[in-house]
Amino acid sequence: MNHTFLGGVHPKGRKELSRQSPLRRFDPTGEMVFPLAQHIGKPAKAIVSKNDPVLVGQRIAEADGFVSAHVISSCSGKVKAVEKRRTVSGAMSECIVIENDGLFTPLEGMGVREDVTQISVQDILGRVRDAGIIGLGGAGFPTHVKLAPKQPDKIRYVIANGAECEPYLTCNDQLMRTQAEAIVEGLELMLRLFPNAESVIGIENNKPEAIAAMEKAVTGHSRIRVLPLVTKYPQGGEHSLIQTVAGVDYPVTKLPADVGCIVENVGTIYAIERAVVFREPLFSHVITVTGEGVKEPSNFIVRDGTSFAELLEAAGGFREGVQVRKVLTGGPMMGFALSSLEIPVQKTSNALTVLLEDGCERADRQMTACLHCGRCTTVCPTGLTPQLMADAAQAGDLVRYEKKLYGLECVACGSCTYVCPAKRPLTQTFKQTKAEIMARKRAAQAGGKK
Amino acid sequence: MNTAWNLSSGPHIRDSWTTGFIMRVVFLSLVPAAAVGVAVNGLHALLVIVLAVLSSVASELVFDKLLKKPDTWLDGSAAVTGLMLALTLSPSTPLYAPVLGSVFAIIVVKCCFGGLGKNFVNPALAARCFLLISFGRSMTVYQVDGVTAATPMAELAAGRAVDITKMFLGTAGGVIGSCALALLIGGLFLWSMDFIHGQICFSVLISFTVFMGLFGGQGFDPRFLLAHLFGGGVILGAFFMATDYVTSPVSRLGQTIYGVLIGVLGAMFRIFGSSPDSFSYSVIIGNLCVPLIDTYIVSKPFAFRKAAIRAQNGEKRKPLLKRIPKPVIALTLIALLSGIALSGVYALTKDTIDEKRREASSAAYRAVVPNAESFEYADTSELAGQVYGTDYGRVYINEAVIGKDASGNVAGYAVSVTTAEGNDGDITLCIGVDADGTVNGIAFTELNETPGMGMRCGEPAFMDQFAGKNVTAFKLLKGGGAVSDHEIDAISGATVTSSAVVNAVNAGLDYCSSVLRGE
Repeated sequence: MNHTFLGGVHPKGRKELSRQSPLRRFDPTGEMVFPLAQHIGKPAKAIVSKNDPVLVGQRIAEADGFVSAHVISSCSGKVKAVEKRRTVSGAMSECIVIENDGLFTPLEGMGVREDVTQISVQDILGRVRDAGIIGLGGAGFPTHVKLAPKQPDKIRYVIANGAECEPYLTCNDQLMRTQAEAIVEGLELMLRLFPNAESVIGIENNKPEAIAAMEKAVTGHSRIRVLPLVTKYPQGGEHSLIQTVAGVDYPVTKLPADVGCIVENVGTIYAIERAVVFREPLFSHVITVTGEGVKEPSNFIVRDGTSFAELLEAAGGFREGVQVRKVLTGGPMMGFALSSLEIPVQKTSNALTVLLEDGCERADRQMTACLHCGRCTTVCPTGLTPQLMADAAQAGDLVRYEKKLYGLECVACGSCTYVCPAKRPLTQTFKQTKAEIMARKRAAQAGGKK
Repeated sequence: MNTAWNLSSGPHIRDSWTTGFIMRVVFLSLVPAAAVGVAVNGLHALLVIVLAVLSSVASELVFDKLLKKPDTWLDGSAAVTGLMLALTLSPSTPLYAPVLGSVFAIIVVKCCFGGLGKNFVNPALAARCFLLISFGRSMTVYQVDGVTAATPMAELAAGRAVDITKMFLGTAGGVIGSCALALLIGGLFLWSMDFIHGQICFSVLISFTVFMGLFGGQGFDPRFLLAHLFGGGVILGAFFMATDYVTSPVSRLGQTIYGVLIGVLGAMFRIFGSSPDSFSYSVIIGNLCVPLIDTYIVSKPFAFRKAAIRAQNGEKRKPLLKRIPKPVIALTLIALLSGIALSGVYALTKDTIDEKRREASSAAYRAVVPNAESFEYADTSELAGQVYGTDYGRVYINEAVIGKDASGNVAGYAVSVTTAEGNDGDITLCIGVDADGTVNGIAFTELNETPGMGMRCGEPAFMDQFAGKNVTAFKLLKGGGAVSDHEIDAISGATVTSSAVVNAVNAGLDYCSSVLRGE
């Protein structure tokens, strides 16, 4: 039986474009750019300066405080500058720019298997922190913080997120098919931190090869099992996954750990295994380059800091004779539109998707008044009422929006916008309204302090 | 680098459903019912449908253009409103009705309140009620095969048997969209494809059925319940009217409450009211309650519902009986018990009531067959609920008796006849005939016509015209001046009633001569 959550939508998967493309390591030749703020929390502090020589795996920026993460160089060469560059968000942000010598000379002592059977909990957490690992699913929360909840004994589930519910994306599918053993080893390490937990690997049932590979890898591991999930977006959302696996819903004010769950993306778990067993920090990860506008949709293991332009070329570039409408980092549901490819791949980048048709553009043409059809309410994975939230937001009634309609619980998954027959920009409105409410709260707090 | 790329915020893909698509599907799901309506009722029905749809779309077009609004007339919602309105009209309705109704629905109910998504009641239903109130009788004249006939609902209200199969197939008369089968096909299709909310349509149907069974006075007799479900627009109302997105609540709980409200109101109007069109009103009342329901019933996100909070705190669920508030259990029990009691009382007293009715009618029989000592009931069971003959309009033979004198010889015959052709409802009368076929007289057991007009049929001046005549049939003279035995002067100004009475008498005479006297 396949498990799932309440609500959700069924967009066209389009995974057939790249799902059979094996992971290829891609080594860039151009300059490498490393933003200091790739994670949730305080930006890291640069510890190199212009003309410093660097090696692969070398720490080039230090975590600033507990909720922060190191930045690791993925190439060897010389620091060219520490300056503002355009990043994924579209804004200019402080980055370390490295002139890549193309040799990829690694730091010494990296990549050798160690015996970790006797490793202590503190050592595991320390190596994860040293490796600069953050959540690779997209949010970018520092992993060493997530793995250190207040009461580790109360964690019941360590959930490996292999759902990969975003349409088009297939890199985690390929990772699970090829690195199943490593992922299970990473999970075993995580389970050492949580003595009362069992581990569940959630995979959508549109990835039979990945499920089979993981099933094979978990045999003999009594605390780990594979859970096939219904293919439905946003099955891989943290909230939806916990609802599916543990049967618990929790408000945004709580953390998964508060309801006894730790969720990590399979990519992150693989990174944990590399960091703890091989002392290899996080400087590369899997990415899908896909979409109808890409010549050869492929899955890559990409070094952080690579420019998307170079990555696209590795996939054959744009298809000839087509009009590209939209270029995204990430998938089409939660990804961000890019204005230029001259920006760097960072830890949280999981895809480059090139669309020939822009749903937003079509929506603008087809928009009508809200019918109150209730489709948005049916699909909302957190049980909100988007149609009423949109009314309240439009009327400027932020109190009703927050208190009566629980508008801040929105996880911005985009399901409501996706199904809306009137093509209203619901998620977009909610993101703005949430930002406005948070800004007002901060202003009120600041005012209170004075 | 490339400014041609769009930069709008995600999600960047959209479902294929659009407003126009939904409207087209709803329109198509109504087409089977419309097709049956046209097949059964002929071209006039088609004309009504076409006019309603065209004038709806045209109304919206004119409104858009005049007020320089964005073009919304092509989104299909106006066409759906027009078709829905047409399906609720009589197939013999005058042609101004669909046009006027559509203009009212679109301009007044929809556009003036802000257009698509802003109307406060279902435009089609509002227009139907507007037509009913404005034009009264001409809206509720229904014809079957060119003959004015009562709808199954009127028959049901009068306590007569109806043909459920005909109602199911849509050949029993009534509005254009009266084929329950076609409506069910369309409605279930919409539900199965998630176009309408099951909470609404099924709570309407279930609550209507349960209430009808408990308080309809005939228990859960499937023939009775099905007749009510298939007639009077319950299916159309439940699947197509009540589920209208704009005028139904947002939350699932609210939708269920709204459905139950409509179902219970509809059943109450059927049981205690007199209008066969009551279901439209119950849906409209339901529509009007939606803002209230939506204000008080706002569903919480999953994480804030009781079960989730229990799960977050690691608590277990209480057993089912402890979770339901006690008053709810008590009220449910009381409602169930009183319903069962009512049905029981009805069953127990049914015989006594019949006995009383017989006594009342036997008094009438004595009046029209004065020299009889006792009465013997003739077997009329195969006539029960059937229209008698073809020439008398909607006339029913209730009972027939053979009067015997003291020595056991036939003293005369009496027939109780009900006609549904009265101006203001049913008329029931007794005709008394001598052994040789001479009319002794007539007596009314039910006459509720207009005082001073139809009611004057009950006066001796009219009634006595029948007495002492030995004819095969009477003939009504509208202008007066009756000379022959078989001629009857109509009451001036009450031709409908007079005609109904004469036809009823003729039916009784015919039954008497052909069956009782065995001629």
